[in-house]
Amino acid sequence: MQVFKYDTRANVNYMVEVFAVASGKGGTGKTTSTLALGMALATEYDVTVIDTDTGMANMLFHTGLSDSETTLHEVLAGQAAVEDAIYERFGMDVIPCGTSLAGFREADPRRLREVVATVAEGTDVILLDSAATLGTRSAVLPIVLADRVVIVLQPTVPSISDGLKVQEYAKTYGTDVAGILFNRVTEDENIDTVARKAQRYFDGETLSKVPESETVRAARRASKPLLAHAAESEAAGAYREAAGKLTVRDADSTAVADRFRNAVIPDES
Amino acid sequence: MNLPQGELLRRRVLEDVGTVLRTAFERELTGYARLESQDTLLLDADGVGVLTFEDGIPVAAYHTGSDAAGTEAVTDIGSTGPYRLELYELDEEITEQIHDDESLQIPPALPARQLSGETELVDQIRERAPETWQETTSDTSLDAVEQFLDDEQKVEAIRDHARSEAQSRADEWQFPTDQT
Repeated sequence: MQVFKYDTRANVNYMVEVFAVASGKGGTGKTTSTLALGMALATEYDVTVIDTDTGMANMLFHTGLSDSETTLHEVLAGQAAVEDAIYERFGMDVIPCGTSLAGFREADPRRLREVVATVAEGTDVILLDSAATLGTRSAVLPIVLADRVVIVLQPTVPSISDGLKVQEYAKTYGTDVAGILFNRVTEDENIDTVARKAQRYFDGETLSKVPESETVRAARRASKPLLAHAAESEAAGAYREAAGKLTVRDADSTAVADRFRNAVIPDES
Repeated sequence: MNLPQGELLRRRVLEDVGTVLRTAFERELTGYARLESQDTLLLDADGVGVLTFEDGIPVAAYHTGSDAAGTEAVTDIGSTGPYRLELYELDEEITEQIHDDESLQIPPALPARQLSGETELVDQIRERAPETWQETTSDTSLDAVEQFLDDEQKVEAIRDHARSEAQSRADEWQFPTDQT
């Protein structure tokens, strides 16, 4: 069990911003990106990453937490407190999600706002690793709850098309776009031209262009985030560049927590 | 592009064109994939995208909604998913006739590269494709992703559609929006 480190700070206002890391399509490297941005931001901020892809969770495999007994599933099922699902890893607080179908079935997405509200009281930056779909309420919820969204794109037509959809969903729900991050970029692509042309349609800047790399796959096999496995790799450098462009906005953490608690989320699951 | 129906091998709804390309490649399919958009409100979505294959290697593309051929058709196919896929096998003599039409031809790895982003599949297709089919400089300069991004009307149609979908789902899911 983890020690809940936030209770002593409960009455103090801290600054916090919540980012959803999203793409409308799978395979873009959202989890790799979430953890890389998290680790890069953790050199300056107190960072919490949450795997909110409750249907196809995989953060636990990237962080060596696949044996965790308590995850977001148990918290969303009302069977565990948030603090029991927080693991201090790689300089961040990590809230992984389980992968069982039963866990997914029992998880009540409405509880996510309370999870984020609780975490918001004691951290500077929250990164929500979102689902690769816009098809269900629970998949879209992290985008609704976040202050800003980081859109992860591969330089392919379907990925950019789906990224545009993510942006429009975010804006419709009052969530700003922090920027776009091109991932898995190969030498074939005229990435500078593609990024420049894509930029016209997206709010926020192009945060970085992360190269496709065997190092990323090796990190995943080693159950480590990229920045822990190969901190000096080109891809790691590209993520640090992206994190450097994410100027975290000040917001009163008590107000943020209240916003999540009061978020209008439907009663039926 | 006029195609006889051929023998139906597979029919399913899918989101990722990469699955089609992988399946055709692994089966060494000579025939075609018929990709019908399930997103009926999108521009050109009433049409059907067709990708043809020879021994699992993509050769030609056509889109009936936009009447686009070749690389341009790949762009249209890429921006209109999810799809109802039908995979058909054809006799080689029939595909050869279609593949002789240069306006329909595409660089073999183009769909994998620009629709799926699966680098392993891209490499496999390049490795297996005959040398004479490989991409030329002029092929890569006519990039499907760039073509898509240059088509402001298509991009705006996708954005408009996503906005109205997000709004109607907000009502359905009882999410707060900027408009409510």
